[in-house]
Amino acid sequence: MSALSCAQAMQQFFAYLDRALAGEALEDLETHLDACLACCEKLAFSRRLDGFVKAKLPDSPLPADLEGRIRDALARVEP
Amino acid sequence: MNTPDAVPLAAPTEPGGRAHDNRPRFEALALPHLTHLYKLAVRLTGAAPDAEDLVHETYMKGLAAFPGLREPERIRPWMSRILARLVLDRYRSGPREVAVGDLAELDRFSLYDLVWDEDPLPYSDDLHHDFLAQFPDDEVRRALLALPETYRVPLLLLYVEDLSYRELAETLGCPMGTIMSRLHRGRKILERELWACAKRRGLVRSDDR
Repeated sequence: MSALSCAQAMQQFFAYLDRALAGEALEDLETHLDACLACCEKLAFSRRLDGFVKAKLPDSPLPADLEGRIRDALARVEP
Repeated sequence: MNTPDAVPLAAPTEPGGRAHDNRPRFEALALPHLTHLYKLAVRLTGAAPDAEDLVHETYMKGLAAFPGLREPERIRPWMSRILARLVLDRYRSGPREVAVGDLAELDRFSLYDLVWDEDPLPYSDDLHHDFLAQFPDDEVRRALLALPETYRVPLLLLYVEDLSYRELAETLGCPMGTIMSRLHRGRKILERELWACAKRRGLVRSDDR
């Protein structure tokens, strides 16, 4: 039986998804997840929400003249 | 000059040399990453004109600090770091940001639980998936932009640049524990904003939270 409560496990979800857990903390969470279906589902939702938000990030084509303007500005830098 | 702490700054000129001698090499190394940096800037600011100014200033600061760059092959994360620091300096506490509120309450906030309890789509076979599918792109982006910069910048650097917590800590000049807590709370604020948005749009009837 895991030593972590569900509330404690949920505090570790994002670090787990971000591959930032290691050693005992990782083992404790995985032990809890092995025994707790509710937390597995909540973790899956957190993962899904991350992917959902990433897919909605705005994108914008590079303005055609931006590189030229930056080159011009860099060329004007005084030595 | 406001340059990231972690960027090693050497004297801008070599003995007997001149600062602008660095320019052709800097351009050759840094300009191929312009599209990537512009995309990152758009995502961090949410607005194309702001992103253009930000990228422009990033290149100017990059040229000034370039003599101190010890690993030229890592110029892209180095430039991203300059850009992220500029965002934190420029946009700190913007008017569009939501209040963070009680941190203990925020830490416990669970969009999963609220959707489960409310059950806004009783005929759904995949309630949480179908709930998220109700949000148009612009509402999600608005919720993301409403995050205070201290939470939004690390979260976007994680999403866009796939930085590790250690790299985020170096980039933003704070301890790894702070990064971990900001990434947790940033996502919780985002969940809370999505729930508020669902209420505004009439997707859920709850009026108690």
